[in-house]
Amino acid sequence: MQFRQVFEDIFRFEILLAAGVFAAIAAALLLALALSRKKSGDRRRRDSHPLVEGGYALVLAAVAGVIVYITASAHDEVREASTTNRTDPAPAAEVKVTAFQWCWQFDYARNDKTVTGVCSEKDRKLPTLIVPAGQPVKFNLTSSDVIHSFWIPDLAVKMDAFPDHTNSVTLTFDHPGRWLGRCAEFCGPYHPSMHFYVRAVPPEQYEQWVQA
Amino acid sequence: MTSRLTATEPPGPQPTHEPPRSWLASTDHKRIAILTLGTALVLLFAMGGLALAMRTQLAQPDSDFVQNDTYNQLFTMHGSGMIYLVITPMALALGLYLVPLQVGSPTVAAPRTTMLGYWLYVLGAIAVLSGFLTAGGAAKEGWTAYTPLSSARFAPNVGTDLWILGNFASSLGMILIAGTVLWTVLLKRARGMTMLRVPVFSWAMVATNLMVLAAFPSLLIALGLLAVGRMSPDVFSSNVWNIGYQHLFWFYGHPVVYVMFFPFVGAVAEVLATFARRRFFGYKATVLSLLAFAALSMSVWGHHMFTTGQVADDYYSLTSIALLVPAGIEYFAMLGTIIGARLRFSVPMLFALAFIPQFLVGGLTGIMVATPVLDYQMQDSYFVVAHFHYTLAAGSLFGFFAGFYFWFPKATGIMLGKGLGHVHFWLMVVGINATFLPMFWLGMEGMPRRVASYLPTDGFGTLNFISTVGSWVLGVAMLAFAANLVVSIVRRRTRRAADNPWEAHTLEWATSSPPPPLNFDAAHPLPPITSFTPLLDLRRKHVKDREPT
Repeated sequence: MQFRQVFEDIFRFEILLAAGVFAAIAAALLLALALSRKKSGDRRRRDSHPLVEGGYALVLAAVAGVIVYITASAHDEVREASTTNRTDPAPAAEVKVTAFQWCWQFDYARNDKTVTGVCSEKDRKLPTLIVPAGQPVKFNLTSSDVIHSFWIPDLAVKMDAFPDHTNSVTLTFDHPGRWLGRCAEFCGPYHPSMHFYVRAVPPEQYEQWVQA
Repeated sequence: MTSRLTATEPPGPQPTHEPPRSWLASTDHKRIAILTLGTALVLLFAMGGLALAMRTQLAQPDSDFVQNDTYNQLFTMHGSGMIYLVITPMALALGLYLVPLQVGSPTVAAPRTTMLGYWLYVLGAIAVLSGFLTAGGAAKEGWTAYTPLSSARFAPNVGTDLWILGNFASSLGMILIAGTVLWTVLLKRARGMTMLRVPVFSWAMVATNLMVLAAFPSLLIALGLLAVGRMSPDVFSSNVWNIGYQHLFWFYGHPVVYVMFFPFVGAVAEVLATFARRRFFGYKATVLSLLAFAALSMSVWGHHMFTTGQVADDYYSLTSIALLVPAGIEYFAMLGTIIGARLRFSVPMLFALAFIPQFLVGGLTGIMVATPVLDYQMQDSYFVVAHFHYTLAAGSLFGFFAGFYFWFPKATGIMLGKGLGHVHFWLMVVGINATFLPMFWLGMEGMPRRVASYLPTDGFGTLNFISTVGSWVLGVAMLAFAANLVVSIVRRRTRRAADNPWEAHTLEWATSSPPPPLNFDAAHPLPPITSFTPLLDLRRKHVKDREPT
């Protein structure tokens, strides 16, 4: 859920900033339209104002600096929470996610358990990724053919699945629930129906399921 | 340095051929540019038509107006066609037509090389489109043609081969045109035309052409890699094949965004200044910002790869967000030009004014997608589709039409109709915003791009329907534009354009409409070049001379 929380905070920050800038420029544009009706004509003689322009460029650079600082700090926070370091305790579960044309396979390495399903237009038999709620789960993403992308829109997290390469991301699902996952990287004719579910269940229930 | 050619000394024998040879083997930059623009305009309608088919398919969930496989061809050809074969050629052709005129040169440097550029472009376009006639259909891997999806194993169709060949040829053609136009502005300027008297549009073309020369070769290498890899799959390691291709591709793929943007910013700048009856505000700051923008644009490509887990996200986020500095300076200059001026609201000016807030939406959402923690949600969703259509359609296309209505009288001697021009403009404003604004919400709600259908349970129906209706409005707007062109050309006798119908500022307006073969002649000599607005200086001097002292 870390991704979603940070996404919402940073999105709020940037959308407010963008709205402010848009309002200011729209106001300037309307001012130009309003002033152009006056009868007195154009009295301006200057075509440039180097000091103002230079000062303005510095302000812009400062704004860019602030945006980068705030967003990069947030990014650090997310990365911290979503990578498993060697010193961290082992994640509660580790799942190898294999994307393929055109569905998903989930291997629970420790328990020798494999889940897959049928990705079709009707979502009845979609593969379901079962995870323990409230505990860190490490996903190792890979692909057996082309590039796919593991996306859970409600959680604002996305990571590409490459052949011959593994990307890892550790996620903690705060509470039990079920979310739809999608393939985000175009991967051929059946890309539009390459969905899956993630279902977070209480840890005891997860243990039961994974042992079964 | 000044040109050795002058208007009174024609270079060698004058061509006496009849059409089509006088056009297809021309050495006149204006003819080559009109050919390129004309071809790109025809393709604009074709590629727009593909988009209408896609939007019609997406109007309702679970629709089967077109099949998956066809839909994939449609979005691949729409995206790649618009970028490689429509907007880039339009942008460069605008420069090819105007730069020699604006810097007072009688010709473009190396006109035969330039003509070769057009030929490569048009043959490339034919090759790409001919994919539709092959058994497997046209290319269907997206305009990015990511490996391994585009490898021979997953995309064995001939359409993809034709796509690679055609885009290679047309992009090579673009490099040739960019090179000769850059050469012209650097080495063939008229006497008195110093670099800091080069008009804003021509400076925008300098920056554009520098980016073409620096970035387009990387596309040729990427396409070459694709071609070799399709023939011998084992040549490249998986690292080069899977991720190296993306680096090569985006090293081209981001600068090209600005190649498709700067010429239109330049056009908007000229239009704003002309219809505000003022010199463009902050000329030097704008020139500097264009060059800084072009330089910085070479370092941002990794922001297309945030979700690959194989690039330094924070670095590319920093360089990308830093682009707001030069962009902000350009906005400051545009607003500084029009605030307090007595504006004239002719059709080119309407497009230029609408460009300002509409492109801004694209620019501001660009900061969002350049932020890794936001991009992890937005990447490959409709949010990104909305973002880049605000830059390219709501921005660049509006800048193009501002320039088109502005310079069409110069190039043809015919004024475009005002009534149909207004219809075109207002329908475009409604259509563009109705089509692309809803896509921001679709992306946020989780609709991925490049999907031929969605389920009723997804809840994407209403927004998609609004977007589709908007696209139909856009279609009607483009018909109004086509009608305007046809009507104006048919009634050309009553719509004669004067040499300088808009009271514009730069040298192209000192010559006849259309200009003579070598741009300036005895009847239309070059005026004294005193600044980047020589004609405005002349008019002001004239007014001052008449004032009683």
